[in-house]
Amino acid sequence: MKLSLNWIRRYADLPENLDLATLAHELTMRTVEVEDAVHLAEDYTQVVVGHIREVQPHPQADLLKVCLVDVGTPSPATIVCGGSNVRVGMLVAAALPGAQVRWHGEGDKVAIKVSKLRGVQSEGMICAAAELMLDELFPSADEREIMDLSGFDAPAGTPLSQALGLDDIILEIDNKSLTNRPDLWCHYGIARELAAIYQVPLKPLPLFEPPQGLEPVQVRIEDRERCRRYAAMQYEGLHNGPSPHWMRVDLWKVGIRPISSLVDITNHVMLAVGQPTHAFDRELVPDEIVVRTARPGEGLKLLDGKELRLDADDLMICDNQQPIALAGVMGGAQDSILPGTRRLLLEIANFEPKGVRRSATRHQVRSESANRNEKGLDTQRVDQAMAVAHQLITRLYPEARLSGFADNYPHATEPATVEVGLDWLGKRLGHGIGFEEARALLSPLGFETALAGQSIKVSVPSWRATGDVALKDDVLEEIARMMGYEQVAFIPPRVKLTRAVNQPAIALERRAREYLAFQGGLQEVYTYPWVNRDYLLAMGHEEAGCLQLAAPPAPDTACLRPSLLPGLLEAVVMNLRYHEQFGIFEAAQVFAPGSVPTSDPEERLPLQHSSLAAALVGREPRMLFRKMKGLLELLPRAVMSEDIRFAQQEQPAWADSKAWLNILCQGRVIGALGLLGSRAAHAADLRRAHLAMMELNLNQLPPLPSRSNTYHPLPHFPQVEQDFSVLLDEQVTWEQLSQALDKTVRGLEFMEEYRGKQVPGGKKSLMFRVRFGLDDATMTTRQIEEKVATIKKRLQKLGGELRM
Amino acid sequence: MLEQLQSIQRQAEAAIQQAGDEAALDQARQAFLGKKGALTQVLKGLGGLDPDARRQMGMAANAVKEAITQRLEARQGELIARASVVEGELDVSLPGIQPRAGGLHPITQMCYDLNDAFLSLGFEVFEEDDITSERYAFDHLNFPPEHPARDSMDTYWLKGHEDLTGPERLCLRPHLTGASVRYLQRHGAPARFVYPGRAYRNEATDARHERAFFQYEALIVEEDFAFASGLLLVRTILEKVFGREVAVRMRAGFFPFVEPGFEIDMKCLVCGGTGCKVCKQVGWIEVMPGGTPHPNVLRAAGLNPDVYSGFYINIGLDRLVMMRYGVDDVRLFRGADLRFLTQFR
Repeated sequence: MKLSLNWIRRYADLPENLDLATLAHELTMRTVEVEDAVHLAEDYTQVVVGHIREVQPHPQADLLKVCLVDVGTPSPATIVCGGSNVRVGMLVAAALPGAQVRWHGEGDKVAIKVSKLRGVQSEGMICAAAELMLDELFPSADEREIMDLSGFDAPAGTPLSQALGLDDIILEIDNKSLTNRPDLWCHYGIARELAAIYQVPLKPLPLFEPPQGLEPVQVRIEDRERCRRYAAMQYEGLHNGPSPHWMRVDLWKVGIRPISSLVDITNHVMLAVGQPTHAFDRELVPDEIVVRTARPGEGLKLLDGKELRLDADDLMICDNQQPIALAGVMGGAQDSILPGTRRLLLEIANFEPKGVRRSATRHQVRSESANRNEKGLDTQRVDQAMAVAHQLITRLYPEARLSGFADNYPHATEPATVEVGLDWLGKRLGHGIGFEEARALLSPLGFETALAGQSIKVSVPSWRATGDVALKDDVLEEIARMMGYEQVAFIPPRVKLTRAVNQPAIALERRAREYLAFQGGLQEVYTYPWVNRDYLLAMGHEEAGCLQLAAPPAPDTACLRPSLLPGLLEAVVMNLRYHEQFGIFEAAQVFAPGSVPTSDPEERLPLQHSSLAAALVGREPRMLFRKMKGLLELLPRAVMSEDIRFAQQEQPAWADSKAWLNILCQGRVIGALGLLGSRAAHAADLRRAHLAMMELNLNQLPPLPSRSNTYHPLPHFPQVEQDFSVLLDEQVTWEQLSQALDKTVRGLEFMEEYRGKQVPGGKKSLMFRVRFGLDDATMTTRQIEEKVATIKKRLQKLGGELRM
Repeated sequence: MLEQLQSIQRQAEAAIQQAGDEAALDQARQAFLGKKGALTQVLKGLGGLDPDARRQMGMAANAVKEAITQRLEARQGELIARASVVEGELDVSLPGIQPRAGGLHPITQMCYDLNDAFLSLGFEVFEEDDITSERYAFDHLNFPPEHPARDSMDTYWLKGHEDLTGPERLCLRPHLTGASVRYLQRHGAPARFVYPGRAYRNEATDARHERAFFQYEALIVEEDFAFASGLLLVRTILEKVFGREVAVRMRAGFFPFVEPGFEIDMKCLVCGGTGCKVCKQVGWIEVMPGGTPHPNVLRAAGLNPDVYSGFYINIGLDRLVMMRYGVDDVRLFRGADLRFLTQFR
């Protein structure tokens, strides 16, 4: 929202030599964020009113004229001009060297210099409105037309900004910071805040009392909850046309395009006091005004041309037959003010804000009116608007007559009362506060205060009583912000220490990530919770089994991830463009339909758990599988959790037919690892690279309450280590071999697996190291020979053939 | 004979000095002190001398032997000191062999740094599920029933929940604040906790806007907590992130779940507050909202607002990381591009 400082000054005598930066700062710190403060006159530096004394044809160009222009200097300036309407005696906008103009109203601004135009020296430029970005104020039929200022009472040489009333400062307020303050969407509201900040009086608005004997305007409110007040003022003897320059400038400076006097009046009222109004042509709406919800099949064409099909929830302003305006949002095209309007029916009404918002949202209509009405305005503001409107209409049309009136007023905004304990205020502010001090801060904002024992009784003014200030906390905020938050000094909090923070599950997830990153050498990635359909299907999931978004980011990303692996696969495919071997991981939540109770007895949430997933990319599938398995084998130790083991129980849909394992903890399957199967690899268009993946449910990996190491006394006697190489059938697994030797040896270590020239088909060569010994003596040669013989026997039972 | 001994000593010393390695040194030892060595030959010839001369020459020969032996040992010491286990030349400027480098996501890094800081102040870390209900996302947080944030244009509602309300209408959480009510309902007050996590909003994406983002929220609830104490949370975050004290200011701000509410600005670190391009000439940069929990929020959490108050802060880690490292496109954080992610150690 833009505000004019000159306009604000009409309501509050702010200091003359106001520092702009300080003003913006004060308002930002206490009330609303000032995004920008602009001296409008700076746009018109070196642009002055010029008086054309002579117009001669240009010797070289038919379309150009050579003008002698009085610009307030002792000798007139020679300016070459192509304006189609230039003539002797005209007052024009003359841009002198150093001025910035927009050439032909397009592109960036350029600086005016003394230059030769087709051989004639020109000491400036006579501007068209668009060249000074004033075309909304001075519309022209033809782009070669220059601005005609002949109607202005300004001597040659007057700075243009002064002549046109543009010597003003425009504040731009961040609308977001205004959403809870319906009272601030106007100049009077901001003037009240500034008057309070600068401790100057706020001037009262005019009052309006309808004269006796007016013709009653028939207004019938059917929905008295949603229309809380409807005032109608009927005027005769008007003639709609362009507004006077001052009003057009008032509107233009704050970003509202001037249209015609009657429309401009409605906007001016809104910008002054924040109350939207609407003007109907009384000839077109001659009878009763009805405020009701829309009936089936009704429609309305809005002022902006949009055709609406109305909903039974839309509150409408209607004549005897049909809707003529969407209440609080926008008027209809047919019955609103026209260029020839002579009789006016001015609506000044208050509507329930949520309904206004519903209609505006439903029909996607944004308007200044809806913006304000949907914030919740007080009904008392209608009085202010009537007074300001009446004053404006009689100023613009001294001959006009208020001939009819209505004020249908079902509900007044209730003024709120809040009682606030001084002791409570002191505690929350962090320092004591007395009644007089609080009163001095509150009363300039319109709050009335009275001392009641140890409390202040605060009467909230109607413009703050529409939901904004209702609690003692709201009063606390008013006091604190008017004191100035910059004065707030840090008060160290006092806390009771009861016990140390101990959150093993939180620590586990962090350790898992740090382990995979710093010991595993994997890079953590973040992916989106909605997954691409192609990768979801590639990994063997079905859309129907997933939770879905009602309005997804894209049609093919409607599903919420049931697993992190589809997202990781997509990330792998993307990264394969730049890397051949890498590892990535992610820890995040995954989702599935379900009905999980929460601490709220009425709430049920779907299944959600923290998942940890990783992908290793490389060329050698066996190594990738074993690397991934190794990474998992050490995980429980790194994260201090219950141990895990591996078994083939439920094959994941994405996994290779041979290379997969489930991850088990405390007897249940908590995840899986494996090589990406060829079906999935094909679906993801993965050709060269191989991929090992794993995923496990972190919520099912219980953290240990403390470290769980055990101590074994060190052996007093030497232990024996011996290597074996054995030829085994392919079907015999390492697990079988270790089980076979489990009771015989104290340690067993895998060294190498070999298939090759010396190994017959269907066989593999396994090399491993065993460790054995005694606790109470050194083994004798014979004991060692016996042990080796036992090992050989057990290997032979597995069909093993010793190679050395 | 004496001359012969002196000559042997000179020859031996020269040979020892010339020996460039242990083999050559050994050869020299053999040549002079070995069985057929020059000195040994001389000693063998002592038998033919008279006792006096034998004793005299014997002493002289032993002195020469001693000198050669010493020289041999000294030379051996030199050679050992000069030796290397490396054969041939070694280029020590070659890069080292590093463990394979992985890393945490830059946002995780920042999050853990902040967790550490808050843990040191006795704050717990709380995690809430990503999917929540309208009751926790909005109702409990004092959002009015028709608040625009509840629209599907703003919040990702789940399919099939279009006609439900409150505890039955589910969404991807649009902010973390709902988690504060869950924690307080479960643990009561006083309470100090942080609850970092992902949040989601339906909006058009560009270099500065994302649909999925990472927030960091902290809340302290104590009896009669003055909002001036809330600066503790603000300072903890900024000092951890920027590694030094950062001047902050609070100004009026409005959010439904706080009263009073603040926008919190930090002094621009680029210009030191005098105004520059980064802070848009203001000297201050808006970094986070904060405020005292609204009485309706405390009531929803089962706490008496006449007794308890507190302070919230909420900061977007995506934006903070962008500021800290000068990242110019927020979408990079969820792009999983290793060329980007591996830059953050």
